[in-house]
Amino acid sequence: MNRIIYKTDEGGVAVIIPADCGLTIEEIAAKDVPPNTPYEIVDVSQIPSDRTFRGAWSWE
Amino acid sequence: MSIVLDGTNGITTPELDSSGPVAGTTADFSGNVTLGSSVLATPTGSAPSYTCRAWVNFNGTATVAIRASGNVSSITDNGTGDYTVNFATAMPDADYSGIVMSGSPGVVDTLNSIVGGNPTSSAFRFTCRSYTAVSTDPVYVNVAIFR
Repeated sequence: MNRIIYKTDEGGVAVIIPADCGLTIEEIAAKDVPPNTPYEIVDVSQIPSDRTFRGAWSWE
Repeated sequence: MSIVLDGTNGITTPELDSSGPVAGTTADFSGNVTLGSSVLATPTGSAPSYTCRAWVNFNGTATVAIRASGNVSSITDNGTGDYTVNFATAMPDADYSGIVMSGSPGVVDTLNSIVGGNPTSSAFRFTCRSYTAVSTDPVYVNVAIFR
């Protein structure tokens, strides 16, 4: 289970959750990450499950 | 093209496959239509019926996860109560109707609204807020797109 993460224009972090649609996660990243935006594919275990401070998430 | 109407075995349409129906094909049914194992009931009345073009049911809490979906490539968790549904196949334009129903057990109300600019043909972004207008992550988020 993987997720795609990228930094938003507001400085936060967006997390893309792939659907079971027949596309690879690389194809989904190419399609759903905003153009010219760096991203990283990570294991779901790297995404915090505690969303109390969701707005404070950052990605370097 | 040949269509065989058989009172025992139903309708055989050998030229229809996963690529979809042949353009211009029409049919007039008075009973039910079976597609695979699903029975589609013929609607009553003369009002036209429009099918859902994309849908998703996901959990917006903890580790956000999709339960089931159709014509959705992914959802984007933009922040607390802020999600984007990305379509696997784009809509013909951005004039579709996006229906959002969300909530959590034991929570009184959740309000949904469109944010982040106008909807696009490829994605639909919306927010979920409590009745006090605080951004919230619902346990159940259901989205359906009609066009």
